[in-house]
Amino acid sequence: MMNIKGALVPFSALKFLGKKPHTVRYPLEKKDTAQRYRGFHFNDLEECIGCGTCSTICQNEAIDMIQLDGVEAAKGDSGLRPRVDNGRCCWCGLCVDMCPTGSLSLTDQYLHTSPDPDSYLLIPGKDNPEMKENISFVKSDSEPLLQFDRVPMRELDGAERVKSFAEVVLGYMQEEARAEATRCVDCGLCVTACPDHMHIPEYIGAIADADDETALKYIYDNNPLPEMCGKVCTRQCETVCAIGHLGEPIAIRWLKRFATEQFPDPAAILNPVIAESNGKKVGIIGGGPAGLSAGYYLALRGFDITIYEALPKMGGMTYAGIPKYRFPEDSLDKQIGYMEKVGVKMVNNTRVGKDISFDKIRKENDAVFVGIGFHIPYTLGLTGEDLENSIQAVDFLRDVNLGKSVDIGKKVVVIGGGNVAIDAARVSRRLGAEVTILYRRRVQDMPADWEEIEGAEDEGVHIVPQGIPLEVIGNNGKVKSIKYGMAEMVADDKGGRPRPVLIEGDEHILEVDTVIGAIGQEADYSFLPKEVMDELKIERGRMVVNELKQTSIPDIFAGGDSVNRTADAISAIADGVKAVEGITHYLLDE
Amino acid sequence: MSTQFAIEEELKQSINNAFRSAKVTIKRQGRINVEFRSGILPAFVSYLKEYLDFKHLVMMSCVDWLEDNEFEIVYHLWSYDHKVHIMVKVRLDREKPVMQSISKLWDQAETYEREIHEMNGVEFEGHPGMRDFILEDWEDLPPMRRDFKTREFVDKTYEWRTGREDKQDVRETIAKQYDTEVPDFKNSK
Repeated sequence: MMNIKGALVPFSALKFLGKKPHTVRYPLEKKDTAQRYRGFHFNDLEECIGCGTCSTICQNEAIDMIQLDGVEAAKGDSGLRPRVDNGRCCWCGLCVDMCPTGSLSLTDQYLHTSPDPDSYLLIPGKDNPEMKENISFVKSDSEPLLQFDRVPMRELDGAERVKSFAEVVLGYMQEEARAEATRCVDCGLCVTACPDHMHIPEYIGAIADADDETALKYIYDNNPLPEMCGKVCTRQCETVCAIGHLGEPIAIRWLKRFATEQFPDPAAILNPVIAESNGKKVGIIGGGPAGLSAGYYLALRGFDITIYEALPKMGGMTYAGIPKYRFPEDSLDKQIGYMEKVGVKMVNNTRVGKDISFDKIRKENDAVFVGIGFHIPYTLGLTGEDLENSIQAVDFLRDVNLGKSVDIGKKVVVIGGGNVAIDAARVSRRLGAEVTILYRRRVQDMPADWEEIEGAEDEGVHIVPQGIPLEVIGNNGKVKSIKYGMAEMVADDKGGRPRPVLIEGDEHILEVDTVIGAIGQEADYSFLPKEVMDELKIERGRMVVNELKQTSIPDIFAGGDSVNRTADAISAIADGVKAVEGITHYLLDE
Repeated sequence: MSTQFAIEEELKQSINNAFRSAKVTIKRQGRINVEFRSGILPAFVSYLKEYLDFKHLVMMSCVDWLEDNEFEIVYHLWSYDHKVHIMVKVRLDREKPVMQSISKLWDQAETYEREIHEMNGVEFEGHPGMRDFILEDWEDLPPMRRDFKTREFVDKTYEWRTGREDKQDVRETIAKQYDTEVPDFKNSK
């Protein structure tokens, strides 16, 4: 019999026509894309700092950093933003994993078709703001590709520190420094915050490459006192460090210190080229960081430089004000010694206005640089302030640093919240006193570095915030106690920072042997003759200068605390370096 | 012998009885690592397959230990009976990476070996048809080698899209903003 089964079987499929399908969903539901899908980029333009790490890491060179309308460069922000060439991107996600702020992410959107090839260039965040809702791939918290933890710095223990003036911070060892330097993403945002705009990424890169000599060359290119900065700099660079957004910033200051400490004599590495004498003479008043910096670079350019300093040693506040446990004297000697080698003439123990007149210096030189700093302390304005043993922090620190014996007794109160106040408190601890700091605002309002505040607390300094001194009470002409009142913080109507207002009746008396005032300093212009004073423009105690640090009198330049508002060593160095340009321009018309 | 890893311990015992040089570590329940010398690898996996029931070759992969100057081939085997996953790792000299093919034992090994040959440049002796896998006419260094410079390759292979000329270097932009010049000490030695 003929087998017709094969011919009929296909028709049996007809019976399914009447059935409802149960495997197909209708109408079609769109499935969710997979979790952590890697589609188009999205960038939070507010959070992005334009560090360019995404662009650096991209192996396909798909990411460009470009200028965008409405994004301004600022401290810690290059003003650039990434643009992605989606024709090149392979969606590996490295850019997201390496993004130091976490602003960059990938979305679950992946469809794009267009005949226009230029449309494949996408500025994430600007061209696709709506994709904020579609973010799917973000940086991994559990396995970060960036190293967020700083290599810890070895320090003396708090109890050990107060026994002597030994340096507290011990410095990095080779391997620690290399490890710390490799954390850097080489973006250069730190440069935006440094007053002196040092070549930070370059020298950190050199340290990471174990090439400390090159690092030293980069460092000395615009900072002749790097070992000092490596120890006491206010390190504004670290406040804007890209890694600092989600982790601990790179220890830029300590890496600089490491590089400079590798070489006992910088001259041997730098082989400075000193230009032939150009016949011009420049007198520098004040041997602080500003004066030394100006002197060093001017000497390299062939100027004849003489620095006049009232104290027995160069260094200004870094010598007389900063305690030795932060900045040891041999470290200062090393740097001054190097400058002498370059040919900077230094005249110590010479107070201008007393030992030598300003007019004489001005006559003998073609230009004068004034870097006199702030050495005259503000008075507290309290009754009993003129009692014996009521002293000023700057005088106290200077006397201690110069090796004079200072008797402060057993109990000390320091008034103020800046670095000078903390220094005075920590020095008093080392002299064996019980120390209280009285500050009118809260601890978080203190202008001092948090590390200094923490260090003081470790060493047993007692801080009384929101305490306003009212009266110094004496006995037989000597300080016996201090009366202070507690304050509450009242929000300022004008939008300023909160003001402390005394709480009625909440007054305390603290028995003390010594009161140390540290509420700020000002410049001493008494050395200037009247006709110069009349001509020199001074605003709120600071000399007014132009871009190149020239004052209102053309042959007088100025820098340092008595000019800038930040009043720290690195700003003074920056002023000195700028003044070099100004003086060269003025004298050589270059 | 702990009861927790009874099967694993037993397998370890059997392997070491047959192959003294095999370094067996029990990672966790159901997971054993074996480090083995490359010379008689086919004999070893065939033993695992025929005697210890590791019938399934899950996959093969290759790791580039650039610093040690070695390649590591990893064979992932699975036993349905024991419910144990074994990873056999062998190290090869990176200068002259040659391995014997195991495609006689598992047909699918042929594909894995072709891939490893193409991506890492490891030769497999006795492979029946070593042809191009994904890359066509590849003459460069095998791309999964760690010393393969992706960026250089991208640079010379792909052309630049127009409209990207306005890109800026972050470091240079910052230097310009603050009117500074970055000297080049690094290359001036």
